[in-house]
Formats: sequence, C-alpha cells, structure tokens
Amino acid sequence: MTPETKGERASMPAYDPAGFWDEMFEGPGCVRPHYTNLARRLGTLDPHDVARRQRAAEFSFQARGITFAVNQDPGGAEKTMPFDLIPRIVLPEEWTRIERGLEQRVRALNLFLHDIYHEQRILRTNIIPAQLVLGARGYRREFRNVDVPLGVYTHVVGSDLVRDGRGTWFVLEDNLRVPSGVSYVVENRRVLKRVWPQLFADYRVRPVEGYPQDLLQVLRAVSPVSDDPAVVLLSPGVHNSAYFEHAFLAKSMGIDMVEGTDLFVDDAAVYMRTTRGRQRVHVIYRRVDDDFLDPLAFRQDSLLGVPGLLAASRTGRVTIANAIGTGVADDKAIYAYVPTIIKYYLGEDEILPNVKTYVADDPSDRAYILEHLAELVVKSVNESGGYGMLIGPHAPRLDVEEYRERILADPRGYIAQPTLALSRHPTWSVDHLEGRHVDLRPFVLFGREVKVTPGGLTRVALRNGSLVVNSSQGGGAKDTWVLESA
Amino acid sequence: MLCRVAEDLYWMSRYVERGIAVSRLIDVTRHLELDAGAEDFWAPLVGAIDLESDDVRFYLTTDAMNPDSLVSCARQARTLARGIRETISSEMWEELNTLHVSLASPAGSRQMRGEAGSFARAVRERLETFQGLAGSTLAREEEWQFLELGKYVERADGAARVLNRQSHLLTPPPGVGDPTGPDTVRWLAVLRTCGAAEAYARYYSMRVEPARLLEFLLLNPVFPQSVRFSLGSAYQALDAIAALRAAAGNDPGPALRTLGRACAQVEHSAIDEIFDRGLQPFLTDIQTLIAQASDELSATYLRDEPAPARLLGVERAAMIMSAQQQQ
Repeated sequence: MTPETKGERASMPAYDPAGFWDEMFEGPGCVRPHYTNLARRLGTLDPHDVARRQRAAEFSFQARGITFAVNQDPGGAEKTMPFDLIPRIVLPEEWTRIERGLEQRVRALNLFLHDIYHEQRILRTNIIPAQLVLGARGYRREFRNVDVPLGVYTHVVGSDLVRDGRGTWFVLEDNLRVPSGVSYVVENRRVLKRVWPQLFADYRVRPVEGYPQDLLQVLRAVSPVSDDPAVVLLSPGVHNSAYFEHAFLAKSMGIDMVEGTDLFVDDAAVYMRTTRGRQRVHVIYRRVDDDFLDPLAFRQDSLLGVPGLLAASRTGRVTIANAIGTGVADDKAIYAYVPTIIKYYLGEDEILPNVKTYVADDPSDRAYILEHLAELVVKSVNESGGYGMLIGPHAPRLDVEEYRERILADPRGYIAQPTLALSRHPTWSVDHLEGRHVDLRPFVLFGREVKVTPGGLTRVALRNGSLVVNSSQGGGAKDTWVLESA
Repeated sequence: MLCRVAEDLYWMSRYVERGIAVSRLIDVTRHLELDAGAEDFWAPLVGAIDLESDDVRFYLTTDAMNPDSLVSCARQARTLARGIRETISSEMWEELNTLHVSLASPAGSRQMRGEAGSFARAVRERLETFQGLAGSTLAREEEWQFLELGKYVERADGAARVLNRQSHLLTPPPGVGDPTGPDTVRWLAVLRTCGAAEAYARYYSMRVEPARLLEFLLLNPVFPQSVRFSLGSAYQALDAIAALRAAAGNDPGPALRTLGRACAQVEHSAIDEIFDRGLQPFLTDIQTLIAQASDELSATYLRDEPAPARLLGVERAAMIMSAQQQQ
C-alpha cells in the first residue's frame, strides 16, 4: 500500500489482534460493541491530525511540568510520562465486579493487618506459616498492639489488575504502602478533554476529578481530633520521582505539603515550623516509605523522616496514612495467600482471582520453580516498579542461571508466576494503531467506607512485545473510561 | 505558612526581580553600544576592565556559572517554583516552567546565541508576566506578602547598587557639562536601566541632570522603581507578616526595625543633604541596612539552616527511595 492510498482511514484496516485478548477488537476488523463509536471516529481521522493532537498533549504535559524524575539520573532530568490518546473503555458491569472485588480484598487485608499486629489468630491456625509473616521485611514489630483509627491501615490502595488471553481479570499485585499514579488518572483525563473533546461526545464517562476531595475526606475521618484537624502531605521532596503527584494532591486538597525537616516532635505530638511559630499536625498522608520515616526507629541514615514520629504515632496523637507496617500485606509471598485471607476473615470466595503463584519458600513450589524457570516470571517479594524480576521466556540463559542461584540462596525472597499473555489495546504508533500490552491500576480509598475511583491508570508497554508497563521502565499511560450504566 | 515555603517564595521573587533588572541592564548597554560605537560599555558593568565586551555580555546573559546571569536567574526561580508549586497558582508555575522549557529547547539556545538585546527583552517579558500573574491570581495573604517582600527588597537593593556603581558619573556639581554630550547619554542610560526614563520625562518634563535623576530614583514616593517606594513596599509586606507572628504570641524579630531605619533614611533626606554627606556613603549605608534586614528576616521567618551537606543527603535518600517505590 502506498502512503497516498493509506490516506484518511489508514488506522483501521491494518489492525490485527494477533491472537491476544484485545480490549477493542474481537478479531481482525471486528470491533467490540462498546468501542464502535470510538472506532467510527478514529476511522474518519487523518493520521496527521492524530499526530498533531498527540503533540498538543505532550506540550500540555511539558508546560504543566507533569513529569517524573528519572531515578538513575542524579542530574535531575525530568521526563513526561508518554501518553497515548486512544482511551481504554470499561463497561459498567465489568467495573461493578472490579469494584466489589477490590472492596472485598481491601477489607480482608485490613482485618488481616489488624490481626497480625494484635491477636495473630490466623498465624496460630497455621493457615499461613507464621515465619512467612513475622519474618517479612515489611512486618514492623514496633507496631504490635497499636490501634489505628477505624481499624484502617491502608487508606490508599493501588492494586494492579491484568487480563489474560481469555479476558479474565486477575489481581497481579497489591500496593498497600505508598502507591503512586493517581495524579495521572486525573491529568490524563484533563488533557484528553482538552486536545480531543470530540471523542467524549458519544460516551457518558464517569468523572475522576473527585479523587482528591475523597482522599481528604478519608484523611479527616481518621484524625485523632474531630474538630478541624490539620492534615499534611509528607513528601521526600523535589528529587522524588513522584514529586509532581505530591504537589498535585496537596494543592487539590488545599493542605500543606511538608518535608521531613518541616516537622518536629515534641512531647509525642507533631508540629510544623511555620512563619508564625509551631503549628500542630494531626494527620500525615505520607509519601515516604516506612524505612525512611523515622531515623530513630528505622534507617538511621535517613534525612527524609522525622525523629520521634514512630513514638508519636504509637500514642495516637498523630495518624499516619497509610499506617506503618502495611508492607507485610503486599509482600509477594503473602499475596499468594490473599484468597485464603479473604476466606478466613470474610467467609467469602474471592471475586477477583489471583494469578497462580509459586512461593519459593515452600519446598514443593520451589522444586517446581527451579524446574520451570525458563517459562515463569520470577519476582523478588519486596520490589516493585518492575525492578527485580525475571521474565523467563524472554530472558537470556545467563540471567536465568543467576536467578536460580538467587532463589537457592534466599528462597523467602522470591515467588514465581506463569507468564501471562496480557491483554492488548490499540495504541497510536507514528501513523497507525498497533496492539500493546496493558494493565490497570485502580485506586481504592478506605476511611469510613471503601470507595473505588471510577477509572484508574491504564499503563501500556510502549515497546512492541514488551510486557513491562512501569513508568520507570519506559511504559506509558492511557485515559481509562468507566461508562455510566445505562 | 511553612518556613521552607516562605523561604522559597521570598527567593523565587528575588530571582525574578533580579532577572528583570539584569535584562534591562543588558538591553540598555546594547543600545549604548550601538549608539556610541567603539567605546566599551560592558566592562564597567561588572567592575572588570580586562574583560572583552563579548565576555561580559556572555557573563551577564547566559553564563550558567554566574548565579546572577539572566539565564541563571530564570533557572533558579523556576527550580524554587517547582518546590512550592502547590503554593503558587498554576498560572505562575506554568509561566516560569514554559520559560524554562523554551530556554532548554533548540530554538531557545539559538535565541541565546543571537542578539543579546532582543533575547533579554523576550525573557524579561515572561518574568514581568509572571509578576503580573502573581498579582492577579494570588489572594492577598501571607504568600503574597513574601512575594512582595522579595520583589521590593531586591528592587531597592538593585537600584541602590546601580546608582552606587555609577556614582562617579552622578556626583560632579549639577549643571556642568555639555547637555547633549556623552554624559547625557549615560544619565539617560541610568534612567533606562532602572526602567524610569519615561516616568522621569513625564514627572520633570526637563532635560536630564544628575540631581533630579537621583532625586527621582532615590526619593520619589510614588514611582514604583524608586528606592523609597521599594523600601516602603517591602516594609508594608514585612509589617503584615510580623503582625501575624506577633498575633500567634511569638517574637516578630528585629528585621522590621532595620527596614524601618532604611525607609527613614530616604523618607527624611533631601537630595542636597545627600550630596553634602556624600552620595556613595549614603548609598552604601542603605545597602548595608537592606542586607542586614534580609539576614534578620531569614533568621526569624525562613528556614535557618542551609547547610549544603545536609541537603545533599536528602537528595541521595530521596533517590534511593524512588527506586523502591510503587510506581
């Protein structure tokens, strides 16, 4: 086909789902019903027009400084997250199931957290090996027998969902410590509305911009004082890769964004240094990991934290969100037990299934892993962001052997999962659509009730064939539309 | 307001104002050069006589090693703005950020290598827009007072410095010299450097002479670029800030008194008395009081612990943590 004949409808006919579950196409040229309006609009487009809007979107991100710092670059380079204009559309009935599944999961995990920091009933029944929990890096014995307001440990959760080759939704991992990305959910929507308002004409999309207000409501609900609590966001500062998000959230909620040096502890209460003198703080939405939160209790070399913060929070005079010690519940070896946890605390079957997971700490699982290394995805239990993992089928022999050694040396540190044929979504590439693997990170808020923001961050692996969607590893993002039910 | 945020607001505002002043200086000097040809107008600007004019122009315009070059001022203002973007309005942040993005672009570096005068004017326009946006988007609360304080402290200090540096030109008995000669050109240049040529013409409606020029730039109570006006505005801003601290039961510190003394100097002096006392000592005295007030207000209201080693540690820890976070 010559460039001229490709002409105005170049994007549609060339597209082939290629055997994967495609979010938009049932088969070559066959569009799923809820995508037909979008397909019709895309079909009338000139590739130059799409490219122009793509540039407008990029410029908008640049101008607003919606960037993340690149970790490996101490020179402070800032990159924008690549944004793909083609939205992902989720049906209302699909979303309802996701919502219910996530609520169930978050409630069960919070009961689990309460239990393992108090009576430890689940450990005494041997349903989960006690050493797996108590030996987890994220378990904080300093927090034994400390009560948290409303019994809520994880005020903000960002679980990663994927679909397999048959379109079934799975939970791939839970992020219960300081999940990031929600600012992109809001900003992607804002930018898409600005550069391509016509796309929205045919759909009724549920809004996402209420997130910061919902978060504020959660944070106020867990305050130790009821009368006008002072809520702050604790950020590691401009060098952190999620700094934009911290500023975005603080600004949207109208609260102070503080750094460790802005706070101090006196008589088990937390104060910030202001131009008028000291001012009491009641709730800290922290975007700093446990390890860095309090140099007196955890990493002594941390300059990001606040000396004495742990002790203050144990007395209940300040609430930390998410609570200290939630990392134990998103440890990837504990993840394997989440369906068991749901059954134990709620007496229900899980609504959203887990991906089959082999825990290397278990002798028979370990034998299976070592035998099938080249077919599996191996993950380090404490890492996230796409670091510390081996994708067996794509990895060079040398890496596979290296992981074999690592697993043998530290079986508690690894799990393995079958390689999923992640679903794909049409994604704009230069002048036409190509299928790219996607996942979905919805955000769940938990205060007096559980609330799932209708939408989420659809991350897309921009390199053809790649399965890694993390922004730190060259992934991009899409706007995610949850449709209003009819 | 957090002390850290107050500090960044104050210095961001100073860098923006400093950038505007430097760009005016570049623009005016370039004009002089084009008018008068061979004579070297650049070297005296930085008090160096063994530098080529191209070097000085580079030093003032784009030199990244000079913290007070135009490009450095814009960069530092943007870096500070980034750290307090939740405090300033989005419009203000985007103005500084798009300036930064455009300076870093290929077109931006072409412009930097091109005509210095037009480059300086282009940057100044953006910085002045920033000040305008601050005025139209921020509530008149503490944030605004710190911006005002930074802007006017910088302006008063900058104007006093320009006059001090040119005092040899302005001190000879008034009325002497050829009214169309090179001195008039230089006096006009001093007015332009302070952004005051038009206002002066309108106010006095007579030819430029040093005594009137000094009276206008130092003592005029209503012209916003004069030292007196700037010090008065800085005083008002600090007065509002100090009142809030005092209301919270804390000591508002000595800075307000020091700034008040500087104000009194320009409010209660006539230009003849200043000449009698000596222009240079008078200006040096003003500059010393401004510096003292700035130190004092830093100690009371801003983060009082710059220790660079410590900041480096924060940076490193933030990076280690980024690598581990859930993104």
